[in-house]
Amino acid sequence: MTRPPNDENLPTVKLVVVGDGGVGKSAITIQFFQKLFVTDYDPTIEDSYLQHVEVDGEWCILDVLDTAGQEEFSAMREQYMRKGDGFLLVYSVTDKNSYENIMHFHTQILRVKDRDTYPMLLVANKVDLVHLRKVTEEQGRELAHRLGIPYIESSAKDPPLNIDATFHEVVRIIRNQPQSDKDKRKKKKLQKKCVFI
Amino acid sequence: MAADEHISVRLEERLKIKIGEAKNLQPRVHGSATQRDVFCTLSLDQEEIFRTCTVYQTLSPFFGEEFQFEVPRNFRFISIYVFDRDRHLKQNKVLGKVAIRREQLSSYNNKDHWFPIKAVDADSEVQGKANIQIKFEPDVNKNKPCSFNTLRKLIVQVVQCLDLTLKNGACDPYALVTVVYTNGKRISKKTKVRKKTTNPQFDEVFTFYNSGSSSADDSKDVSSPNGEDPAEICELHVSIWHDSPGISDDVFLGEVRVQLRGMQQQNSAHRNAWYYLQPRSGKNRPYPTHSTPPGTRLSGDNSLGSLRLQIQYTEDRVFPASVYDDLKNLLLESIHVQPIKATSVYILGEIINKMDIAQPLVRIFMHYDKIVPIIGALANVEISNVTDPTTIFRGNTLVSKMMDEAMRLIGLQYLHKTLRPTLELIFAERKPCEIDPTRVRDANVIAANLANLKFYIQRIFEAITQSAVYCPALMCQIFHNLKECAMKHFPENKGVRYSVISGFIFLRFFAPAILGPKLFDLTTQSGDCQTNRTLTLISKTIQSLGNLVSCRSTQQVCKEEYMECLYKEFYTEAHVTAVRQFLEIISANTSACRREADDMPVTLKEGLMIKRAQGRKRFGRKNFKQRYFKLTTHDLSYSKNRGKEALCRIPLTNILAVERLAETSFKMKNMFQIVQPERALYVQAANCVEEKEWVDLLTKICQTNANRLNKYHPSAFINNQWLCCKSPNELAPGCSEVSRLDNNYHMSLDPERDLQRIHSLIIMHINTLETYINLSQREEMICNILKQLREVAFQIEHKHRLYKRNLDRNTKYGSLAAPIGDDNYLLASRMNIDTSVLRRCVSSEPSSYS
Repeated sequence: MTRPPNDENLPTVKLVVVGDGGVGKSAITIQFFQKLFVTDYDPTIEDSYLQHVEVDGEWCILDVLDTAGQEEFSAMREQYMRKGDGFLLVYSVTDKNSYENIMHFHTQILRVKDRDTYPMLLVANKVDLVHLRKVTEEQGRELAHRLGIPYIESSAKDPPLNIDATFHEVVRIIRNQPQSDKDKRKKKKLQKKCVFI
Repeated sequence: MAADEHISVRLEERLKIKIGEAKNLQPRVHGSATQRDVFCTLSLDQEEIFRTCTVYQTLSPFFGEEFQFEVPRNFRFISIYVFDRDRHLKQNKVLGKVAIRREQLSSYNNKDHWFPIKAVDADSEVQGKANIQIKFEPDVNKNKPCSFNTLRKLIVQVVQCLDLTLKNGACDPYALVTVVYTNGKRISKKTKVRKKTTNPQFDEVFTFYNSGSSSADDSKDVSSPNGEDPAEICELHVSIWHDSPGISDDVFLGEVRVQLRGMQQQNSAHRNAWYYLQPRSGKNRPYPTHSTPPGTRLSGDNSLGSLRLQIQYTEDRVFPASVYDDLKNLLLESIHVQPIKATSVYILGEIINKMDIAQPLVRIFMHYDKIVPIIGALANVEISNVTDPTTIFRGNTLVSKMMDEAMRLIGLQYLHKTLRPTLELIFAERKPCEIDPTRVRDANVIAANLANLKFYIQRIFEAITQSAVYCPALMCQIFHNLKECAMKHFPENKGVRYSVISGFIFLRFFAPAILGPKLFDLTTQSGDCQTNRTLTLISKTIQSLGNLVSCRSTQQVCKEEYMECLYKEFYTEAHVTAVRQFLEIISANTSACRREADDMPVTLKEGLMIKRAQGRKRFGRKNFKQRYFKLTTHDLSYSKNRGKEALCRIPLTNILAVERLAETSFKMKNMFQIVQPERALYVQAANCVEEKEWVDLLTKICQTNANRLNKYHPSAFINNQWLCCKSPNELAPGCSEVSRLDNNYHMSLDPERDLQRIHSLIIMHINTLETYINLSQREEMICNILKQLREVAFQIEHKHRLYKRNLDRNTKYGSLAAPIGDDNYLLASRMNIDTSVLRRCVSSEPSSYS
């Protein structure tokens, strides 16, 4: 790996990890930043991590916010939803409930952003627990298709699966969203919204 | 069916509104700064009931403030006004508003919506209604050689108005009656000004003649000048004005326009009706409405910016208890039925959003003293499904949500008692506590910040771990059940007996309360960025400390590096022991050494109000002063300011009655009285919501007073007599019955209302219920309970239909209940659901059902 350039003007990319409690949001995040798997479960309130990363040859500062999954903290959600440039929507393949709750996160992000698309990635975590799996890959892909976002399977347990790929993919999605399309999107959004009110 | 026509039905409305953020506000044009200092107010019609903090120097302010209340009175619109606080001009400029009709509120439920901000002008800010009588009569003057029409005269009686707007705190209204003739001529007449009232009684009669002359004396010169066609009255305008003598013009309060063309032709045309006051239809106002119709986003222009709101509005028509008996029994049975998956409670949790259903369920089970078994039963099935003991109850399930609601309901006072002192200190000191090196400018301040933070954390930690004996018995019982259940399923796991409790008491109770104290009424103050960050850091550490005893092994890594210095301080054997002891005590089987939490007063409500001097001193004027009131579990007191020494304390036992005070007493709105043995304290609350909250709370807390009065005076004693009964004796016993709580025995819970709420939710999800019935044909028990739920819902819904039909039939358009001018009065079919299924049920219902 090359060293991060000493350039102070690197772009900062703000990622937010959301999903129900106990799906492994912190495990994914810590595996990515500290390269280790935490076995103990300590529920997160709100943790943030900073790191220089290179994605496709381009460097950036990755600013990741790991959030609380419990509904009790939902009042705080819109604050970080406003700030995020991209979102990881995480569920556990062993917990059907967490899969079903993804919809709510997706809807709220779009509503807070007032857009009809936004950089997001659906992350199916804990795929190492094959014998406990309750949500199939098909179901995951079907949901991702319905939401119009990409899908990835991951495991934070050593050896980790797709952890770096997950974070890099979101950065790619953010970079690839056409800047000029932003305004168009907004207009399209207006028309759509009118229909369902 | 006759019985149905006389049942008493009450309407309960609740509104929760979160003012999220605004964007694309217009920049300032004057001065050098283009940014604005923005705040919002929330109004029920024209009455302000809540105000956000000001967000400085921005055109896209984030508020994130939530406000919820029981709607105390009838209203037509909820409006959110956006203001710019201009510090140089020292005045607030309104940037615009979002107004939502009452009928449309529920269509926005639960999701964030962006609303276009609309312009505000004085002419559109109206509220209230007017009672006007219109009559055409033949003109008795026989000498006139005129046609039939011109022989008639118009008699207009302006009877009264209700609920007019206050303008700058004042309202001295008069009515201006104008008739418009076919030839464009206008004649206007005024009523007298009524002083200091928003409900003026005018009772003035005006007569207008078809020929177009203004007074009875002139009416002899019959035909119009220059031999024109005789003019005929075609329109009547009644506008209401606030009389503001001096330089400024009178202020427009609203108007009523009545088309009279055609009405004249009818013999003895007569109409006595109530009208909603409307905005003035000016040139720039194509539509005489100031609402934001839904879906205006496309057509509406967003040039003033937009505002994001989250609304949760519920409206329940609550029937007497007997109507809900079947539903109640079906729910309560759940604690005896096995498997739990075939119980009504579990199934409702599957069909209906858990966020919506958990609260009414908890309140019903609380009321019938079944909360411990139902949570136990639901938790049992959840634990038995869990494979990894470390993630028990970490997700969002029906039982976790019900626990959350139960803890808030049972433990709010306990929470206040435990956290409030330290939180008050934090808000008072507002010391910096940031220890993340990437978030501070100067790394040297970290040491000092760390010391501040440690101090706060230690204080809260001690408060919590020493609070075990005050933890309400009911909560302890629930915790005990959870612990037993978890230990049964995971006998090998040593930590689970703690983690299952700390996952609720720390993770879902203390940590969220520390993070967002406003949401738990722990403070009325708003935190700045720095204080919020302090609270986040404390909340994180407290949560981790609570979790310390169960999961943490020695090799535990620190998630964030900078937190390590904190953890070193707190992850000691002493702390672990303290947490362990705390968790053991609150989950112990017996409530042996539980102390009642009455030795220290707990604050229930506080805030600024205006009170009339009580006349405790012999001399001195009985004038009105603003005071800071505080109600605790011991007494009601007031002081000059927040945090100041109390000027007067009224022990709760001295409160003999709490009642509203007739507005006529002091010509002041939102007044209530606190009757004590010697005198009554007259208090004015800031708005109708505040008034209701104070009166309800005081009534509840004094309900059990032994010496409660049975009678009281609805008005004050002024000028040596009681205005209500005219008795000149100040000590004369009351003349009116005190208001009884509808259901005397339940003091804070209202099971009928919660049952109705559940019924409403079932009806909203009736199609999902149908789908479940079709899917579960094979599982007989589940199918059965689903069908029973449907049956019960249909029965209750049937009563609602009958009631509504009756209401429709008996409500006359133009009556006080349904004034003319509201285009969608009685929009009772506003439930946004597919009613096809229901229609089937109602039509198939035997009509003799009652």
